[in-house]
Amino acid sequence: MSEPHTDEPQPGFLTLFSFFFGISAVTIGGGYVMVPVIQRAVEKRGWLAEDEFYDLFATAQSVPGPLALNTAVFVGRRLSGAPGFVAAMLGILIPPFASIIALAAVLDVIGEWPAVKGFLEGAFAVVPGLTAALAFNMIKKRRWTPLRAGLTIAGAVAVTLAGTWAVPVFFSVVAVSWFADRKPAC
Amino acid sequence: MLSLALVFLKIGAAAYGGGWTIVGIIRTEIVDRAWLSAEEFARLVAVAQITPGPVALNAATMVGFKLHGLPGAIVATLAVVAVPIMLALVIGSFFAKATKNGNRLTEALKTGTIGLISMTVWAFAPSAVSSYLNAGIAITAFGISAFTKISPLWVILGAGALGAVARTILG
Repeated sequence: MSEPHTDEPQPGFLTLFSFFFGISAVTIGGGYVMVPVIQRAVEKRGWLAEDEFYDLFATAQSVPGPLALNTAVFVGRRLSGAPGFVAAMLGILIPPFASIIALAAVLDVIGEWPAVKGFLEGAFAVVPGLTAALAFNMIKKRRWTPLRAGLTIAGAVAVTLAGTWAVPVFFSVVAVSWFADRKPAC
Repeated sequence: MLSLALVFLKIGAAAYGGGWTIVGIIRTEIVDRAWLSAEEFARLVAVAQITPGPVALNAATMVGFKLHGLPGAIVATLAVVAVPIMLALVIGSFFAKATKNGNRLTEALKTGTIGLISMTVWAFAPSAVSSYLNAGIAITAFGISAFTKISPLWVILGAGALGAVARTILG
């Protein structure tokens, strides 16, 4: 399942670059918004099924750094190998960087406009909803066993309460789940 | 400039759990070093939200730009992604092989990931219930993203437009 799809034409470097460039250029709200945007977009193009996407997204979580960037490079590599990795990385990185440099002088002023302030308030109000929906959709697409359900609930409580220890607790949850889940569910 | 690169390398390596967590780490590193005051940093983050893309990346670019101009922006941006990209290359190919058979590792990672997401939702909860409008927008966004195939992009742009109209009319 980690091989690029062979039954469909692989998207080329420029296709993937402009795909991720477009998403990065228009999506505000950070990684937990960009990840579902990327998911719906790759599904719509027939590049990746929803459950395959969540496999990659979960794997991308094992690496530190901006979530949207990590997820994008894993998706890019799955679709087109090394060129896809680079295309995704550049596509995600360039738009925000370029817009900050280009607008540096005026961003302070623009930020004070009521319409811009209102737009940001409205846009950021969706972030908790979209983040919760991301968890909901992942939960919906998993193959459940009683053990996995118990581990997931315990893990969610542990990581949420962990505070500054979230990262070691996250890895402990992954390790415990891996050891405990010896029999495949399917 | 070298210390800027080192600090952002460290931030990139320690940054788990998505943008807002990373912004918190950047604040600790930058404000504790007195490179920027807490107010300056808060203002910078507010402005970073206007620009699209990953919030953590924008915050890194803006801090670098504020401290050392264009070279600083380039150094901070590249430094913050250096470790994640390296790890994505190395660990990514390892995981791609390891998760091919059995799915056990992928499932374990999903268990942990759902934990990280619930931590994020918990952290956002106060802002979601701070007003009826915010709560309504958050619930609508959840419903659309959980039960339809509509791209969340339209949800966020729609909510933004709604917020802009509300602000312009109500002042």
